[in-house]
Amino acid sequence: MNSPPEAASLSELQGRFASALREAGPQSEVAIRQLADCIVDDGLAPARRLQVYRNNARAMFAGALERTYPVLRRQVGEQQFAALAQSYRAEHPSRSGDLHWVGEHFASWLAPQAAADGRAWLAELARLEWACEEAMVAARLPPLAPAELARVAPETLGEVGLVLQPCVRTVSSPFPVWSAWRAGQVDGAGESADLALDAQHVVVTCCDTGLVLHSLPEQQFLFVAALAGGATLGSAVDSTALDLEALPGLLAWIFGEGLVTALRVPDDDNSLAGYVE
Amino acid sequence: MGDVGTARFPGGPIPARAGIGLRSAHQDELVKRRPAVAWLEVHTENYFHDGGPHLAALERAREHYPLSLHGVGLGLGSVAPLDLAHLARVKRAIERFEPALVSEHACWGHAGGEHFNDLLPLPYTEEAVEHLSARVRQVQDFLGRQVLVENLSSYFAYTASSLTEWDFLGAVVERSGCGLLLDVNNIYVNSINLGLDAERFVACIPAEAVQEIHLAGHRRNRVGTRDLLIDDHGSAVCAEVWDLYERAITRLGPVPTLIEWDTDVPALDVLVTEAHKADTILESARELAA
Repeated sequence: MNSPPEAASLSELQGRFASALREAGPQSEVAIRQLADCIVDDGLAPARRLQVYRNNARAMFAGALERTYPVLRRQVGEQQFAALAQSYRAEHPSRSGDLHWVGEHFASWLAPQAAADGRAWLAELARLEWACEEAMVAARLPPLAPAELARVAPETLGEVGLVLQPCVRTVSSPFPVWSAWRAGQVDGAGESADLALDAQHVVVTCCDTGLVLHSLPEQQFLFVAALAGGATLGSAVDSTALDLEALPGLLAWIFGEGLVTALRVPDDDNSLAGYVE
Repeated sequence: MGDVGTARFPGGPIPARAGIGLRSAHQDELVKRRPAVAWLEVHTENYFHDGGPHLAALERAREHYPLSLHGVGLGLGSVAPLDLAHLARVKRAIERFEPALVSEHACWGHAGGEHFNDLLPLPYTEEAVEHLSARVRQVQDFLGRQVLVENLSSYFAYTASSLTEWDFLGAVVERSGCGLLLDVNNIYVNSINLGLDAERFVACIPAEAVQEIHLAGHRRNRVGTRDLLIDDHGSAVCAEVWDLYERAITRLGPVPTLIEWDTDVPALDVLVTEAHKADTILESARELAA
């Protein structure tokens, strides 16, 4: 007498289910068949029932990617974006129960193929959109009043660093990504990105009402990026060869936008202890 | 529960009335208009981060409404280990928003390092009861509070299942000390998709464990000669689900009830109207009990 087949363990079932959700092409048929053996067949084919979950897995992933890259999606169109999402998922499946992270590697993944297609700017646009995604979920702290900088002794000003908002991101691109991003907004529908424009350098930040993107001249951008990287005011000026005449106006803009949260002062300066990062 | 002395928001339990899921499309309008709904629910994972407009909007809304945090990403029944970093973010969200209820699903969601970001069904076996119960205990121990576990919509049944869904959930309640979030739409969806006996489900679920109810819409797909319902939370609650809800409330008494609408999200007033419909049924149950 034959004994009934032993039921699959929880671990085996989840392993088979995962393969059936993950696999594409000819391998998917084997994976689906292996799980279908564990599904009640009541007249509606197990493979058809399983297809609902396969569709869901694909849709959840693509939907999360769309929410992170809405401008890129509008630029390439729904069909091409869906194809990109599927290929990207095969190499970079979701590693978190929080869908926010799904698009983390999309720009770097897209770069080689976009360059090969003569559309390298698409990957640059993706880089800008990921910066936007990060800015949208980062903290925005109370801004520091510019008067605090005025308290610093002039001879030590060069040794002071400006601690920028956690929601500040900097993106420098050889392509006009800021223009492409603006053209791709919902209210900019119909506009096309003018790729004949020069390189653009963008500071991304976020306030209570949403994203704020600033396109800056290269030197000014490099100065802000240096500060964001932890440089002191002196080293930021030196490394970017910033025209000193432009410095007061640039600092007024940085403080005016509320981008500074604290001063980073030399360790031996106790006069500004309250503002030391 | 948070320390009352340091609470940032109004405390107290979620009332046995109807609430709505707060979606980003409504967050500003809700705070401005403050419609007459008794409480709000959000997906916990949408508030895992350090800041941003959505987080600020929920803080503003929380000043006026009790809150439930509903998780969709822990994959409690996964054989792979729990993502402890994810769980720590759940705890941080609880500390930040001081919800009256915290819930997750009787599902699995990740294997081999990959997350499928879906609510995948478990077989109803003794092994799965034991596994899920242990995971729920682990989560409750870490969070220092009870969680509610929600029944799923399913598109297939496992041949390995040896328990009914309600016995499975009842055993998890008994062994973990969790509460239940009863999704009445999911019961109805499973009655069509799997031939589940919806009336028996409502009659047999441990009533004392049910602390919240979900109501939602679904999509009806025709596959050959059969209907397959897709739990897409993208339409109004259907008549059959309202009927089943009434019978559930008759047995359970008034329970906090949420209108869930996550896709094709309509105007805020549509959700409020659905919530008032649930409130009418809850009120009738209160009058009957009086």
